[in-house]
Amino acid sequence: MNTPDRKLSPAEIESFGAELDALRARIVADLGEKDAKYIKNIVRTVRYTEVAGRGLLYAGMFPPAFVLGSVLLGFSKIVENMELGHNVMHAQYDWMNDPELNGQTYEWDTSCTSDNWRKTHNYEHHTYTNVMGKDHDIGYGVLRLYPEQKWEPRFLANPVMALILMTFFQHLLALQSLELERIVGAKSKEQRKTELARVKKDIKPIWKKMRKQLFKDYVFFPALAGPFFPIVFAGNVAANLMRNLWSSAVIYCGHFTEDAEVFPIESLENETRGHWYLRQMRGSSNFTGTKLMHIMSGNLSHQIEHHLFPDIPGRRYAEMSVEVRRICEKYGQHYNSAPMAKQFLGVWKRIFRGALPNKPTRFKAAPAANVERAEELVAA
Amino acid sequence: MSSPVTRPLRFLRRTLGPLVEPAVFDFWSRELGSTASRSRIQARVVAKRAESARAVTLELQPNRRFEGFLPGQHVNITVEIDGRRVTRSYSLTGVPREDDRLSLTVQQVEGGLVSGHLYTDCRVGDVVELGAAFGEMTLPEILPFKLLLLAAGSGVTPLMSLVRELAQRGMPVDTTLVYWARHRADLCFVPELKALAAREPKFNLRFALTGDAVTGTDELRGRPSRELLADVAPDLSERAVYACGPAGFVAEVELLARTQARSFQSEAFTPPVFAPVESQSEVTLMLAKSNRVVRVASGQPLLAALEAQGIKPPSGCRMGICNTCACGKRDGLTRNLKNGGENAEPESNLRICISSAQSDLTLDL
Ligand SMILES: Cc1cc2nc3c(=O)[nH]c(=O)nc-3n(C[C@H](O)[C@H](O)[C@H](O)COP(=O)(O)OP(=O)(O)OC[C@H]3O[C@@H](n4cnc5c(N)ncnc54)[C@H](O)[C@@H]3O)c2cc1C
Repeated sequence: MNTPDRKLSPAEIESFGAELDALRARIVADLGEKDAKYIKNIVRTVRYTEVAGRGLLYAGMFPPAFVLGSVLLGFSKIVENMELGHNVMHAQYDWMNDPELNGQTYEWDTSCTSDNWRKTHNYEHHTYTNVMGKDHDIGYGVLRLYPEQKWEPRFLANPVMALILMTFFQHLLALQSLELERIVGAKSKEQRKTELARVKKDIKPIWKKMRKQLFKDYVFFPALAGPFFPIVFAGNVAANLMRNLWSSAVIYCGHFTEDAEVFPIESLENETRGHWYLRQMRGSSNFTGTKLMHIMSGNLSHQIEHHLFPDIPGRRYAEMSVEVRRICEKYGQHYNSAPMAKQFLGVWKRIFRGALPNKPTRFKAAPAANVERAEELVAA
Repeated sequence: MSSPVTRPLRFLRRTLGPLVEPAVFDFWSRELGSTASRSRIQARVVAKRAESARAVTLELQPNRRFEGFLPGQHVNITVEIDGRRVTRSYSLTGVPREDDRLSLTVQQVEGGLVSGHLYTDCRVGDVVELGAAFGEMTLPEILPFKLLLLAAGSGVTPLMSLVRELAQRGMPVDTTLVYWARHRADLCFVPELKALAAREPKFNLRFALTGDAVTGTDELRGRPSRELLADVAPDLSERAVYACGPAGFVAEVELLARTQARSFQSEAFTPPVFAPVESQSEVTLMLAKSNRVVRVASGQPLLAALEAQGIKPPSGCRMGICNTCACGKRDGLTRNLKNGGENAEPESNLRICISSAQSDLTLDL
């Protein structure tokens, strides 16, 4: 563990927030042509690599074409999901007024429906980041990562579960909003019945999108290859697996690293904007890497900046991070950043540690204050 | 009704259609240099020429999604400026053609965003997006009355379309066009109008200048007045009047002509000015989708204000990050409470939890 964060006075927390607000305003005022060009080039990259990847798979009996085809298709899916879909759905490009890049209508190339994602991720996860009982992304209901989470025997399977989650990430993410663990955890027959009924209703749109994705990748495109169906099928499996492993690794590194913190539900009471920023920062972690890694992670390599400014185009996080780091230093706050391999190792330590019970742990001191949210904005 | 032929076709469209998303289709269409689109009206600029010292005419070739127009109508055109798409209305100046080609004439407005872009930066080959044609200032099939067309500045554009239609129909009724501008050099369509006046005895043309001295016999001097109207149209009570120009001009000629003329139709071009209301006063919100009107206090977050009225739009974080509450704003002035910025442009995604009304608004709720 790094040096603990300095305890801030309410006045300090306020000016900490004000500095981040000012940074945000500066970048917002500068958004324009460069950002529009960038995202359009990302769209272009996604489309061309998809066509090239799928095209090469049809020559897949020739092994280099199979490998290259699968990798290109996987790459296309990764960039579509991360830098394009995830970021567009955060309304990062709404200022362009482009209906194809509209945060509320964009539909991404993965099993999870965009509507569910906008609820579980944009709203729940980003608003209640790392708040126990509010942020379902803390282990997705199946992993135990923090000692503050209550231990149950099922968590003995933590490492296996983590691997399963990574492998089938797209489908399990799609099912996340169903909170299936609530069926397992039902206390009575009655409760189980209500939970089952709820799941049965909510699964309809999810199953529809899943079916579409499965049909497209595993039936339609392979069928076009006629006798070479199995080759194209295998290429699609490889591409989806590549995407699943990579995107889950990126996401694990964003909130489950060694120094990431969780917060009790009471921390939400009367939380000010400054506190909110502070919580986002303490619950998130960055990883360093090459430019390609940043793009392929949808700039979630700058998870801290993403959580502070979820609606600012991801390509801006790198330049913002310089300033955020400076502000953190000024206020004595730890800025959690390390090479990806190191962060990922930390995540796995958590996964193994979480499998076994531990002594009850208390939350670290949590921020709290006494102003209301939207109403506070007016006063500002 | 599914015949043995349409059934497999329908099956194909049902199974394959969803695999090519409209956005993907449109992308490849753009990459291949086409304006074809699954759902949007795209048009290519195929010609651009000066129409006056301050105006250009653009000719546009729309894709098949454009469903036609009537002379006198307008379209919304959307262009990208510094990465942002911005929309303004322009009148179509031609008559419908076999090849669907459209023309519009844009007058440069001092400091104008879109007019400046179209006037200076827009090039032949550029693609713009259009909306469907709209507007009521059209001519009926049968013209029972003589016509008096009153134009000022860029307001000549829809009336030019009407003049061209009349010329095409063989000038069925006696028509007088009075066209105001400050300077002679600002006048558009001059050679064509003069040639038509020379050719068609039933077409009378007068240019009214407010800033230059009169030289030709087809010129007048001065702003609209009772005397001027009596001079150009002594038979006003037998004429149907069409007027178009800035709001002030339209109001002026309406006052002069409405009661006497057979009928009076007009269109004002000046954009609505959203006068910011004083802090803590009330504004009217038009909720377009649910067809409701509510009064709320200005300066308050819209979401909270609506909720206080018992209206519960979808919402999430209430702090401007999750985008759940975002809805379209058709017009009006809003303020972003997070950074104090004001916006008078229509928006597709206004986050109502962190925006307040600074004038009356129309929202897609
Ligand atoms: C139905 C309709 C049809 C129209 N048809 C035409 C047309 O055929 N040709 C044409 O040139 N324009 C036409 N207009 C006007 C056009 O839509 C724009 O308002 C105009 O081009 C200015 O837009 P802008 O983005 O350049 O200016 P903005 O950036 O919106 O405004 C810049 C400044 O100029 C002022 N301003 C805006 N418009 C005008 C104006 N018309 N006169 C004086 N000051 C103005 C604004 O108040 C502001 O201060 C039409 C408007 C309507 C509503």
